[in-house]
Amino acid sequence: MKIFKADFDCPPWFSSSAKKLIKRILDPNPLTRITVAEIIENEWFKKGYIPPRFERADVSLDDVDAIFNESRDSRNLVEQCEEGSAVPATMNAFELISTSQGLNLSSLFEKQMGLVKRETRFTSKCPANEIISKIEKTAMPMGFGVKKNNYKMKLLGEKTGRKGHLAVTTEIFQVAPSLFMVELRKSEGDTLEFHKFYNNLSTGLKDIVWTTTDRGKVEEKDGDPFVPNSPKSAFTPKSENSLKNSSKALICITEAIVPKEATSEQQKAKGRMHTKCL
Amino acid sequence: MGCFQSKVTRQYPGHEDPIILASQTAFSVSEVEALFELFKSISSSVIDDGLINKEEFQLALFQNRKKENIFANRIFDLFDAKKKGVIDFGDFVRALNVFHPNVSQEDKMNFAFRLYDMDGTGFIERNEVKQMVIALLCESEMKLADETIEAILDKTFLDADINQDGKIDISEWKNFVSRNPSLLKIMTLPYLRDITTTFPSFVFHSEVDEGKILLRLKLSKNAKGIAQLNMD
Repeated sequence: MKIFKADFDCPPWFSSSAKKLIKRILDPNPLTRITVAEIIENEWFKKGYIPPRFERADVSLDDVDAIFNESRDSRNLVEQCEEGSAVPATMNAFELISTSQGLNLSSLFEKQMGLVKRETRFTSKCPANEIISKIEKTAMPMGFGVKKNNYKMKLLGEKTGRKGHLAVTTEIFQVAPSLFMVELRKSEGDTLEFHKFYNNLSTGLKDIVWTTTDRGKVEEKDGDPFVPNSPKSAFTPKSENSLKNSSKALICITEAIVPKEATSEQQKAKGRMHTKCL
Repeated sequence: MGCFQSKVTRQYPGHEDPIILASQTAFSVSEVEALFELFKSISSSVIDDGLINKEEFQLALFQNRKKENIFANRIFDLFDAKKKGVIDFGDFVRALNVFHPNVSQEDKMNFAFRLYDMDGTGFIERNEVKQMVIALLCESEMKLADETIEAILDKTFLDADINQDGKIDISEWKNFVSRNPSLLKIMTLPYLRDITTTFPSFVFHSEVDEGKILLRLKLSKNAKGIAQLNMD
């Protein structure tokens, strides 16, 4: 193979200094090959080169970079313990709006890169404490350690995966008095493994899930518990457990906004549940 | 050797010199070139005209070109700076620039304000927010009572609408966002930091006699799975 022998030609219009640099980069011998530090010092490279600017964003965001934010996390831990907040943070109207897929421009890149999302959400009508314990009870037998801080949890995989241990941050927000939004995002490890983990986890959580916004890559499966209107959806009267749990929670559906394709099964379920106001 | 540039301009109306775009934005020239790869992919998905139309945008966002969504519409309208109903490459780069991690919070706050100020009055009115919340609930198939929605709006406006006039102006918005930084989470795309590795496109600048020559080399795999460098 020509590349292993560095058998290549540069087009004649390449300057001689460019040719020399390329030759030194495409050196098949790693011991004699030019290093990045040397490239940066090369005369041809330096012409017109503007070094990148690295500025830290001022906003504290729990995203992909959570792996570097351990110190920030422990600061939050101390603050929250002192305040003694006993309820999940409330989502204001704009935070709620922000969860729209139409505002998630990451999809532009993920689709092109063939990636799956690094975070997912679902809503639940169960009390926040129940949600937490259910997630804990489901994740632990899957081989995940659980660290809790009020309504924020960190799930840490015991097994080493493709990119180290999988770590998932879970946060619960209150949307309305009896409606909570649960966010799960990968903070460390391989994103595909995160997706597998979430698929397994959601099977165990189907009793507490009301709706899910994660239809992207978990679709077109028959009886998928996370596709609304599917036979095993928590909204169907067929599921005994879901009815039991929902009767414990506050459900007042007086005026409802019905999605365009409401099925008759959903109407039946609504009818049965609407009087259970505590 | 000017043929490369004119070829690109013919196929991509509104295509601007990457060097100029890089100087106007937080992107480097290589990053602009990488964005061009992404742009090419999206803009050719329905009609191969070098422009992104609404359907192509919807296809890229939702994998469904017929999916209507008021938030995607707002983003599209803001990207379409010249109000032509289509997004050209210059629009694309300048709009995505606001989402770059290195761009100021100020620029992001301004963009977000314009996003939510749907009718462009310079105020985010309560009924606009209600409309957006209802749209979100529909999209997520969540059903909430009207009173519950009103309660959410009450809380939000109590926090954000300092002079309690039923609408949020730009300074109230900036104040609100600085107290709730997670609101700008949607305004930053970490992917923009790795864009040159995601969409590799090597450009060598070489000065020959008069003028500069831009060469595009593409790193790809041949049939045997071996990396090769070709002229694009």
